[in-house]
Amino acid sequence: MKKTIHVTLNGRPTNLEVPAHRLLLDLLRDEIGLTGTKEGCGTGDCGACTVLLDGKPVNSCLIFSGELDGADIVTIEGLKIGPELHPVQKAFIQDGGAQCGYCTPGMLMMAKSLLDENPDPSDEEIRFALSGNLCRCTGYAKIVQAVQDAAAELRAKRAG
Amino acid sequence: MEELTVVGKPVTRVDVQEKVTGAAVYGYDLVLPDMVYGKVLFSSKAHARIKRIDTEKAKTYPGVVAVVTGKDAPWIHGEAIRDKPFLAQGKVRYVGEPVAAVAAVDEDTAQAAVRLIEVEYEDLPAYLSPEDACKPGAIPIHEDFASYRKMNFILPGAMPNVCEHFKLRTGDVEQGFRESDIVLEERYFVPTIQHAAMEPHSAHAQVDPATGKVTIWVANDAPFRALHEISEALGLPQEKIRFINPLQGGGFGSKGGLKVEPIAVALAYHTNGRPVRVKFNREETFISTLTRNEAALYIKSGVKKDGTIRAREMTIYWGGGAYAEKSPTVCIRGSLPGPGPYRISHVKVDGYAVYTNKPVAGSFRGYGIPKVAWACEQHTDELARRVGMDPLEFRMKNVFVDGDVSYWGEQLHSVGLKETLTKAAAAIEWGKKSSRVQEFKGLRVGKGLACIQKPTRSPTTSKAGVIVDAKGEVAVLAGTVEIGQGCSTILSQVAAEELKIPIEKIHMAELDTDAIPFDASTTSSRSTYHMGNAVRRAAIDAREKLAEMASPMLEGEKNDLAFADGKVFLKDHPGMALPLGEVIRRKLGADGTVRGDASYTYELAKELDLETGHSDNASAFYMYATQAAEVAVDEETGRVRVLRMSAAHDVGKAINPLNCAAQIEGGLAMGIGSALHEHMVVDDQGKVRNPSFLDYHLVTALDLPEMIPIVVECPEPEGPYGAKGLGEPGLAPTPAAIGNAVADAIGIRIYDLPLSPERVYRAIQENKKKVA
Ligand code: FES
Ligand code: FES
Repeated sequence: MKKTIHVTLNGRPTNLEVPAHRLLLDLLRDEIGLTGTKEGCGTGDCGACTVLLDGKPVNSCLIFSGELDGADIVTIEGLKIGPELHPVQKAFIQDGGAQCGYCTPGMLMMAKSLLDENPDPSDEEIRFALSGNLCRCTGYAKIVQAVQDAAAELRAKRAG
Repeated sequence: MEELTVVGKPVTRVDVQEKVTGAAVYGYDLVLPDMVYGKVLFSSKAHARIKRIDTEKAKTYPGVVAVVTGKDAPWIHGEAIRDKPFLAQGKVRYVGEPVAAVAAVDEDTAQAAVRLIEVEYEDLPAYLSPEDACKPGAIPIHEDFASYRKMNFILPGAMPNVCEHFKLRTGDVEQGFRESDIVLEERYFVPTIQHAAMEPHSAHAQVDPATGKVTIWVANDAPFRALHEISEALGLPQEKIRFINPLQGGGFGSKGGLKVEPIAVALAYHTNGRPVRVKFNREETFISTLTRNEAALYIKSGVKKDGTIRAREMTIYWGGGAYAEKSPTVCIRGSLPGPGPYRISHVKVDGYAVYTNKPVAGSFRGYGIPKVAWACEQHTDELARRVGMDPLEFRMKNVFVDGDVSYWGEQLHSVGLKETLTKAAAAIEWGKKSSRVQEFKGLRVGKGLACIQKPTRSPTTSKAGVIVDAKGEVAVLAGTVEIGQGCSTILSQVAAEELKIPIEKIHMAELDTDAIPFDASTTSSRSTYHMGNAVRRAAIDAREKLAEMASPMLEGEKNDLAFADGKVFLKDHPGMALPLGEVIRRKLGADGTVRGDASYTYELAKELDLETGHSDNASAFYMYATQAAEVAVDEETGRVRVLRMSAAHDVGKAINPLNCAAQIEGGLAMGIGSALHEHMVVDDQGKVRNPSFLDYHLVTALDLPEMIPIVVECPEPEGPYGAKGLGEPGLAPTPAAIGNAVADAIGIRIYDLPLSPERVYRAIQENKKKVA
């Protein structure tokens, strides 16, 4: 059964015709062609598919498209601020926060949402926020460092 | 030596921009025009004959393009031993073995049709442990084993189901035990775990109906080896096969050889030229790709009162799962240095790679060393304890140093082991009472360390090309696969260093076997050394050609020229300079290019002797590492908490210190997970019980302690700038270091992994009973 939904996707109003049972992850990747959002498990256990739905991080592999009418969706492709990389993206580059990079889009979306809520998180708070995002490559240390550095840059920006 | 400009610097990764923006295309993301979608029917039986397969209903299901079984794809592949069918042939050997496959217009349709395939089985006895599978009287899992094509280094065992028997014989262990004051014999066990790369497995394939050319798009870590394997299986010349590598979302050894590729190829022969995509979901990846060998390890040592190890005997049963995959070479390269990096006169090792009716096991980061280290390094601590020596002091007395002849007969050089021992130990304040006893009141705190020596795959070859164009941009053609380890950055640094061109101008060419020169594999931590050497030489070749061209333009001899900042200039008149692109444009026009080529091979003086395991040079280089752990154990719950962990790795030369630290941290995290909780549980029917991230516990950001990566540089003269390798050893000593710390904390040795709360709690209870 197809359904027409109206969403804002990475800042752009969009009308989509979707099978109601299509998962948001598959909608993004297979129908819209935004493959930056990754699939690691398809069962809500790894966080690779994290996107922001109305500003909140969700596992897109658990969301049915049919429920999305009126939603605001931001994916990794929409994380840049204009032409500029988001500070958390820059920090991942500087600090070596990505290796194979497969967990990275989900990590970045989760980190952004944390920093939106909590501009000055402790290491423990960062680790807690990212604990649903699995990474098999990095051991997380450089990711935590990157989120700290991004937080500092964002705070400096706000102050300055 | 000339000063290095970019080698040795913490350059940020060259591939990271596309990874943080979501632009990077991985194998799992790939979309091909007009593709169809494959799904697989997996065996539900651990060991059974197939009496009947009925695909009729699936074939007529609307939207289905092709249905294939072993009959339609009568091909067998394998590397060391050619034993694995594309799809089951007459029998199944593990739960999860691909039996049939469907291609359809979409994935849901393919999956629905798979459910319509009927298979009737007749059960056979299943062997679920390597020690059971090789008992006298066990029936063969591979009836035709004797007729399989095997590589010349394979020595099949006399016992049932043993596909490789590795032997090492040095001195006379019985005499050594007689000469010892203390003899200790133990058994250790390491269970099956899985690579669990975040990107699940997938492959795309297409067969061109006009030319018969087979193209495979897959994130394979050794595309040339995979190409060879497909070519042998299909009986197709190599130029009729092409591998194109999209990015890989981690592999750790699981994405070499052939996993999903054979299924995609089998289907692609029946889709009239339409490409086929076969993606495994997470559960399918767990049950039907690759696992790490389980291992039962028996170890016996004799030691003198003064702490000299006189003799060591090891018998190791490596569980191979249903097909050989890389188990024979894991057995060889894991068993060879199994007795540890110690000077021992009398050594005997028997390693057996054994078929079982479990998911296929084989290469996994560390290639056997994590298993032998779990046994050898804890056993070594027990010896130290029995002679009343500190474990660090005991190791310093016995470990290999430069010039030693190892028990396999090779004179060793560039041995940075002692430095790794002292640095790793110092980093956790070895010898001092834990400063955190107060903080963890009520818990038992302890320290432990473990060290390893790891060989690399040898002999092997890497070739490379370096192309400079008239814009001064450089393309590096190298078959090393970016699996997350950072090779594209390392190789770019090497090319930039030799050409003295800014690293931003260096680009890695797309990995396509039709366009890229041969490389053996991206495995075994061999790439920095082998491909680093090849790229370095290719860049020097290009530089020489550029100097030749520039010499008349600058009116100077070749020897009077120097390179810097993307320019060539006269040493005596640095003002007389030309950008490299300009040199090419003047001589060859705007479309001109200059190409350098090189090949690097590390040769063995002679192959490993099959009867004694001896070799003058078993490995191009050796990696040495020590890790040290401080733990707190809760005796009430059995929970082990790692408080901090240091890891000192002898890398020869750190081409990129940032990347070295990243590799070490990643290895530690994986090692800590495998020490404390990772275990792929297979039940008595051969079924994997925990094929999901909900039930198979990977470490999260919350589970990790303070990690202290330490880089030791004991240069390897043959390596580029002195470099050895790093990626694989990262997790190898980790469980043993933690095991030793746990024993230090609670006074109880635990022999089996993982160190789960149940296991530790039980060991504590049993010990209490014993003491009472
Ligand atoms: S893919 Fe959605 S949580 Fe893993
Ligand atoms: S960088 Fe590979 S999974 Fe995180």
